[in-house]
Amino acid sequence: MRVEEVDLPGVGRKFTIQTQSGDEIVIVVHHSGRRQMLYYEGGADDEPVVALDLTDEEARELGAILSGVLFYPELTGAATTRVAEQAIEWVAIAPGGLVGQRLGDLALPQEAHILAISRGGALLPNPAPETRLEAGDTLVLAGTRQAVDALKSRLVS
Amino acid sequence: MHPAIIHFGLAVALLALGALLAVGTRLPALPLYLLFGVLTANWLDIEQLQPLPDLGLLLLLFSIGLEFGPERLVALSGRAGLWDALALPTGWLLGLALGLDWRAALLLGGVVYISSSAVIARLIIDLNRAAYPESEVVLGVLVCEDMVIAAVLALTAGQTGAAALLASLVLVAGYLLTAHLLGPRLHHRLERLPSEPLLLLGAAFTVGTAELFHAVGASEGIGAFLAGTIVASIGMRERMDTLFGPVRDLAAALFFLAVGARATATLRGIGVDAIGLALGALLLKLPLNYCSGAAGGLGVRGRLLTMLYLIPRGEFTLVLGAIALQDGSTLVSQTAVLMVLLSVPLGALAIQVGPQLTRTIQGRRSAPAAPFRPQHSEQESAPVVRHE
Repeated sequence: MRVEEVDLPGVGRKFTIQTQSGDEIVIVVHHSGRRQMLYYEGGADDEPVVALDLTDEEARELGAILSGVLFYPELTGAATTRVAEQAIEWVAIAPGGLVGQRLGDLALPQEAHILAISRGGALLPNPAPETRLEAGDTLVLAGTRQAVDALKSRLVS
Repeated sequence: MHPAIIHFGLAVALLALGALLAVGTRLPALPLYLLFGVLTANWLDIEQLQPLPDLGLLLLLFSIGLEFGPERLVALSGRAGLWDALALPTGWLLGLALGLDWRAALLLGGVVYISSSAVIARLIIDLNRAAYPESEVVLGVLVCEDMVIAAVLALTAGQTGAAALLASLVLVAGYLLTAHLLGPRLHHRLERLPSEPLLLLGAAFTVGTAELFHAVGASEGIGAFLAGTIVASIGMRERMDTLFGPVRDLAAALFFLAVGARATATLRGIGVDAIGLALGALLLKLPLNYCSGAAGGLGVRGRLLTMLYLIPRGEFTLVLGAIALQDGSTLVSQTAVLMVLLSVPLGALAIQVGPQLTRTIQGRRSAPAAPFRPQHSEQESAPVVRHE
């Protein structure tokens, strides 16, 4: 995959993504926060097959869904999204070990947070400290790269 | 109440009407502001609005410096700008052939050459063309144009003599050098400031620089433009852009209204020569910009669109026209004003119908954006609303 990035003076910033199938996605992030998205099949000289116009809020929501914050496909296993030094990570907890512990007792590293628990196909967002971990849980962690890695190594050991 | 406030109220009411009409008809707003200015020239006293329209021009040039400054050249392809730049010497030679002195001829060259970054960027955004490939080339060409025209403005400084020209060049060099040397330290200091002092500092810096250039006999326009490039070069572009956005939009709308209102007076007694020059200049740029599109790596359709997008003239054309008027060269100033008046609505129309038109010309069957219909699975479940 190839991502190009270019400034559009007076307008904003343009990203061009070449997909594996040879199609092209062009995204313009306007200074105003508006996003425009074009989807070209094949070369970029044709008219786009799809043109989207999104507000800042819509784009963020779409982005979150696409990156799998709300739901992640089984196949990808432990997916990681890196946003500069920040990371979002899905970690399946090891059987035994921490099962049965309350989240509040986990002693989280300072810059790591548990965004959600994925349990039996359902997502429990923003879990309370008294929630107990169950076997088969997957935790959605967010925070600095270091803190998330530290927490992850404890959860899987 | 000061009488100017009543005029201000009338003017913004007119502009609001124009903006509403633009939203309702899905037309861009700028040509409507110009038109309203022309229509109300007889009863709207623009002088009563001063200094807002003039301030609008300075802020417009400041934000162009901010967005279209020299460091943008690195990222964008400059080759497209070379073809386009041929318009400048052509216009200059034309001026000399018409018997103008070198200064007036150079101003005419500038008028023939420069398209309006402010108007074109606005039109590209308003008409949803930002993501298309030709917009990137067009904006790259505009960066080149603004750089060249800043140099032309520096060179036309000092009708009083070589000393003024030298002073203006020394000022430019001084500003650039200071920004280069103190840039990182300034950035560090400014970045920590809250919005309000930053906004006021920016305004003082812009107007102050403009006045400084005016004082040495150069155009205040180049001062405002330079202020913008300096602010961008010390890494304050995004914050300043957000801070100045609303203020600039209001003042710039008043500026375009004032341009329309003043045009009738400037164009009184316009000769065939000025009309011919204006039309000729607009036509001359068409083939050149077609070549710019080609140099930018676009296909035939993209080249045609590049050609159409670069029609609108605006802020710098008027700055050049104003200098020409001061010099007593009414031919150049009338040409400039007429070109803005013609090219903004023409260009807006061209950008609006261009994409459709070029598709027809090219005879390419348009791939209709087929609405995506999801295939429902057998067991349909009600969608979960996560949050609204």
